[in-house]
Amino acid sequence: MRVRRGLLLVAIAGAQFALFETALRTWGHSEAAPAFQELFIPDPVIGYRLRPDARVRFATAEFDTAIAVNAQGVREDTPIGPKPPNERRIVVLGDSLVMSVQVDARQTFCKLLEDRLNRTAGPIHYRVINAGVQGYGPVEELLFFREIAHAFEPDLVIETVFVGNDAEEAFGSSPRLRARPLADSVSESLVARLRRVVRRSMVLQVIRLRVVSVTGRLSNWISPPEAPLQSYAEQPAARIDQGVRVTRDCVQAIADEAKAAGARTMVMLMPARFQVDDADFGRLKQAVEAAGGKLVRDAATERFDRALADVAVPRFDALPPLRAALPGPPVFFEQTVHLTPRGHEVVAAALEAFLRRQGI
Amino acid sequence: MVFNSLQFVWFFVAVYALYRAFPVAFGASTAHRAQNWLLLVASYYFYAAWDYRFLALLAASTLVDYTCGRLLGRMVDGRRRRQIMWLSIGFNLAMLGFFKYFNFFADNLQALFTAIGWHLDYVTVRVLLPIGISFYTFVTMSYVIDVYRREIPPTRNLVDFAVFVAYFPHLVAGPILRATALLPQVARPRTITPAQMRDGAWLIAWGFFQKIFVADNLAPLASRIFAPDAHPAGVNVLLGTYAFAFQIYGDFAGYSNIARGTSKLMGIELIENFRFPYLVLTPQAFWRHWHISLSTWLRDYLYIPLGGSRGSAWRTRRNLMITMLLGGLWHGAAWTFVLWGFYQGALLMLYRPVEAAFAGVSSRAARFAAWALMFHLTCYGWLIFRASSFSSLRDLTRSLVTRFSPGAIDGGGLALPLLLYTTPLLIVHLYEAWTDDVLAVPKLRPALRYTVYVATLYLILLFGNFGGSDFIYFQF
Repeated sequence: MRVRRGLLLVAIAGAQFALFETALRTWGHSEAAPAFQELFIPDPVIGYRLRPDARVRFATAEFDTAIAVNAQGVREDTPIGPKPPNERRIVVLGDSLVMSVQVDARQTFCKLLEDRLNRTAGPIHYRVINAGVQGYGPVEELLFFREIAHAFEPDLVIETVFVGNDAEEAFGSSPRLRARPLADSVSESLVARLRRVVRRSMVLQVIRLRVVSVTGRLSNWISPPEAPLQSYAEQPAARIDQGVRVTRDCVQAIADEAKAAGARTMVMLMPARFQVDDADFGRLKQAVEAAGGKLVRDAATERFDRALADVAVPRFDALPPLRAALPGPPVFFEQTVHLTPRGHEVVAAALEAFLRRQGI
Repeated sequence: MVFNSLQFVWFFVAVYALYRAFPVAFGASTAHRAQNWLLLVASYYFYAAWDYRFLALLAASTLVDYTCGRLLGRMVDGRRRRQIMWLSIGFNLAMLGFFKYFNFFADNLQALFTAIGWHLDYVTVRVLLPIGISFYTFVTMSYVIDVYRREIPPTRNLVDFAVFVAYFPHLVAGPILRATALLPQVARPRTITPAQMRDGAWLIAWGFFQKIFVADNLAPLASRIFAPDAHPAGVNVLLGTYAFAFQIYGDFAGYSNIARGTSKLMGIELIENFRFPYLVLTPQAFWRHWHISLSTWLRDYLYIPLGGSRGSAWRTRRNLMITMLLGGLWHGAAWTFVLWGFYQGALLMLYRPVEAAFAGVSSRAARFAAWALMFHLTCYGWLIFRASSFSSLRDLTRSLVTRFSPGAIDGGGLALPLLLYTTPLLIVHLYEAWTDDVLAVPKLRPALRYTVYVATLYLILLFGNFGGSDFIYFQF
């Protein structure tokens, strides 16, 4: 009887798995969707990068966006050829907050900045290249600059530091700076095969993300707050300080390499939503305090600002203009916590003013 | 510590392991004493996880009402007994009034004086609201009143009483328990049946589904419409109000189900707090099906002592209105809650003469019309409840009436997600209502039962909002 019921349960679970898998593949369009995952290809040096010439549609309850990747692997409609004499190029390095799959390419702060600069540029034409890649941290951004973006012949490189998780990301990816490229002949391990199976299923992808989120919280159980908020802790874990140092070294390396190629560099500090949204901050603060931790709202921004003062490049903090934009229509999406079209407008306007003030 | 947190999972696993081990260690007949100590320590830890400073209030409320109960048990003099009862009620109301309503009254008093030209420059004290105070003060007050009315004997065992007050599944957001229902269960050895385990597990899973899948996914939809600077078309106000109606139901019914489920696993039955409230035809029926533990509390300890429906029609209406106004104020110290209470009182008064006619409706079309009317009246109540201010309420109402604009419907961003996040709930809900059993699912044939269990699990895992917030009723 028990065996029969067990088999029945397995059969029902399997049938529903197939049903949900089909439904998600048909209507899902989330980051876990195989179609979205196909936006990325493995890269022996960086780990992964955007697939050249990829075309993906990304839709959630909050937005519906068509994403185009050009032949060089950045979020641009057209390939980036040799620089004409009257063109000035700005390459914006960063993560998902720069890539901004939540909005159309024309609505990203990169393109809005380009439009703003070109309005008064005279014979000079500005091109702002969105070189952000989902999930990157400072280490990957440095490697991406070396491998790919360097060839865009930038006049200015803007390294966007997301203060919310870049310390964690930099700490986690720091071994990549020392690692040699993986040889093609490395045999595929069982874990790698399993990972590939999981990546092919949308249901398993989502469940994997849930498990990762839970295990992430467990590993930080002893020292709350959990990983995404650890950078804001009053006394963060040692890895945060190490991550900030790695970030500083990456920015220094980008600045040095850009300078050698005749380009200038600046840093943009991008805040997390709760640094801007009071209600969001109140909720998180309460949750962190309930877990026995203490959340300091702008601690991560201040930490990066102090550390990056050692690097002789201008720093622009996007927090004050975003904060000044409220109350008003939201500058961050509710669920995906990335910039809304209005948030992009605010950042572009403030960034333009900063560039002009600095004479960059 | 919220139910939908990892912290609670660990807490419950540890407490439950010990709880089940005690009968083995101490013997089945006496284990409940050790289990009560465990529940008491665990409940105080659970409360301290919010804010340990307010443990003193919980302990004070427990000690005062335990002592009042003992005194009432010993006394025979009616006048003295009445004094003791009022002492207890006065203590609880003073505590509730100070911590919950001080800021509200201070702010309103200051606004009133400013309006008449007196500018009071005093230092305003901001009083923090201890979580769950509205719930446990009602629990202890009902105990003392029941002992005063000689409906129950006073308990002699302080630990049993303290567990009754602080029992963690109901402590911070109800159900508001009665001593008649809980104290006897606390005082006797527990037997945990396989049916309780099955039903308890289902209630927990279903409660999480209601919270994580329904409420937390609908919350952003409702927030968008109720945002202070949003100017939605009437059709979207209507959809946003539907979203909030199901959000608050999923949130609160979800909490109650998790509370009932965890308690069932420990062999202690809690009362049902929700019974298909959106399927009723009249406001009277709504309050018999929504937050049942609060509405029966208000009925037994406020409406009936005020005279209930025993006097003239005018007195009955007055009693209904007082009860609902105070019920509204219980939900929060804001004028919109008072207005919501007034609205509910007015609905009860208006429907009272025709309630029997509505209940006796037999034709399907007439029943559907009566249901649709009641559902939309309930939803308008939620619009009052959710509105951040009177001006926001006025704007949203104006939008509904003068700017309905069906063509402006936000199909992809509002209507479709609303449909997707409520349909699974409604399917189970309608089946339970059809069988008139809120635990109908665990009684289904295995194939159907497993289908519902697995689907519930998949929906939580795949589409649940795991970054959700606290339960709405914590703020009350």
